[in-house]
Amino acid sequence: MNEEYDAIVLGTGLKECILSGMLSVSGKKVLHIDRNKYYGGESASITPLEELFQRFGLEAPGEKFGRGRDWNVDLIPKFLMANGQLVKLLIHTGVTRYLEFKSIEGSYVYKGGKIAKVPVDQKEALTSDLMGMFEKRRFRSFLIYVQDFREDDPKTWKDFDPTKSNMQSMYDKFSLDKNTQDFTGHALALYRDDEYLNEPAVNTIRRIKLYSDSLARYGKSPYLYPMYGLGELPQGFARLSAIYGGTYMLDKAIDEIVLGEGGKVVGVRSGDEIAKCKQVYCDPSYVADKVRKRGKVIRCICILDHPVSSTKDALSTQIIIPQKQVGRKSDIYVSLVSSTHQVSSKGWFVGMVSTTVESNNPEAEIKPGLDLLEPIAQKFVTISDYLEPVDDGQESQIFISESYDATTHFETTCLDVLNIFKRGTGETFDFSKIKHELGDEDQ
Amino acid sequence: MATVRIPKQKVILCGDYGVGKSSLFRRFTNNTFVTETDRKSTLGLDHIDREYNVGEKQIKLQLWDTGGMERVASVTSSYYKFAEGAILVFALDNAASFHSLSQHLLDIVTYAENAKIFICGNKSDVDGREPEVSDADVEAFCEQCHSLISATYKTSCRTGEGIEEMFQDISRQLVQANRSKMELQALERESFKIDKAYEAELNEEPSSCSC
Repeated sequence: MNEEYDAIVLGTGLKECILSGMLSVSGKKVLHIDRNKYYGGESASITPLEELFQRFGLEAPGEKFGRGRDWNVDLIPKFLMANGQLVKLLIHTGVTRYLEFKSIEGSYVYKGGKIAKVPVDQKEALTSDLMGMFEKRRFRSFLIYVQDFREDDPKTWKDFDPTKSNMQSMYDKFSLDKNTQDFTGHALALYRDDEYLNEPAVNTIRRIKLYSDSLARYGKSPYLYPMYGLGELPQGFARLSAIYGGTYMLDKAIDEIVLGEGGKVVGVRSGDEIAKCKQVYCDPSYVADKVRKRGKVIRCICILDHPVSSTKDALSTQIIIPQKQVGRKSDIYVSLVSSTHQVSSKGWFVGMVSTTVESNNPEAEIKPGLDLLEPIAQKFVTISDYLEPVDDGQESQIFISESYDATTHFETTCLDVLNIFKRGTGETFDFSKIKHELGDEDQ
Repeated sequence: MATVRIPKQKVILCGDYGVGKSSLFRRFTNNTFVTETDRKSTLGLDHIDREYNVGEKQIKLQLWDTGGMERVASVTSSYYKFAEGAILVFALDNAASFHSLSQHLLDIVTYAENAKIFICGNKSDVDGREPEVSDADVEAFCEQCHSLISATYKTSCRTGEGIEEMFQDISRQLVQANRSKMELQALERESFKIDKAYEAELNEEPSSCSC
């Protein structure tokens, strides 16, 4: 450990592993340390099942849930948008060769106590039971506008300027009612709250396009999920970092981040050992004094022995409960995966309900989500702080990632990573630095 | 033009740091040997395919190297996933590397339970000295493992001795073991890799939906 590095990365969560990979690929000498014995930190998939019970201070379940080793349970549930940033990062870094995916079978939205398939094209708009007959037609013309819209071709903007006008005025232009606005903003554009109504409409148009382009790839839903769970993702990027020369240390306590002149980082201490470095990249848990709390997220892992009703027995699915439907300010997300993705033993399902905490009784807040999953054989609840760095790291050269938010996909995760990379290196990540010809089996 | 798909089998190298896994990998890749001072040359390379003929059948061995992660940390569990074969490597001149095989074996049966397991004693060229690990030691180990081990080999990456023979034999064993399984798999596989073709599509203008 007593060596000098360009960068030391602390924590092997997904964000840190992507950063470690990008830095190693860019020719930096990287030391990557985790205090845990395993890779993945908060982004790990816990296996075997006994380990999950132990983590929550519960007694091992015995034989009830089948073979413990068949389980890989995510602590933070997310899906990949088939056309999203993370997929692009996976392709450009070549990490995709370590992974296999399956698409998520269904994408649903909650309305009036029931769930309905998210309508995304004109045909679905007309058959959806989310809207009345006239509303369907209005929604259809809205979708056609979005589909034909090209940012670089103002002719397709017709008589509306979405770069200047906000989203509310666009809804008004198409006379969409509150209900339709609700599922459009939350189940298609995947906004967590209603702030977006006051932002330029073009942002929302982009997000709806991401959803429908992602959906167009596999048809069932816009989401992908890796075999053996999300924990495979950080491991893939860690491997990328290692094959480009990164050094890995697990089960290593970090006692101090050593600062030098002007508060600039000079190294990291573990016991008597000090590794010198020019920069540190880490998750918030390694720098308690350099982060502040911006809120809380509640997540409840649920083990069930049945699919969600009214999803045509989908073996994997996502359900969004828009805030207004249940009188809240932020959405509730429900996701379900199963043995089809090698994350549970046969006949069992892993459900997850998550949201941003708004009250003093967060468990009551997720009840509408839990109700959809009942009967539930076993619940595991976590409430965690959402932390963000107090500064951009320029002075200290310590670059800190934000906690994982309640969103249901990895778009914000990737934006944070690309942003940190830019702050740390002063440059936008150059994807062409990766030698594609090496180890690429599909030439 | 229709091409015949040759079944691909992932084979991973396991074992302590410094026993010669990367040297085996390099022999497999381009049949060369480099001394310790020039090890950086594998940067960015971690698995490679080679085709073998077994009787009338063709098989593509895809050999994976650890990338050196085991030097101070452990290899990620995802390294083992989807492996059909695992080669446990130790150095004949290093008894400690032989004794830790049981730990590596445990990792393999945990994370890649369907893999066929082979043992490779490397550095068979240690001339002048008695090897620290004898054939009897290896035999005893295999016996303890209750026939988990499919075969054992001795190789020298320095001279190249035994290496081609080992990969040939492993190919033969995998073809035998998987003859029926592979045909099944070809039919049932619904998960997929995101590949170059996928990327090409990504860069195209998405076709808008026609109804």
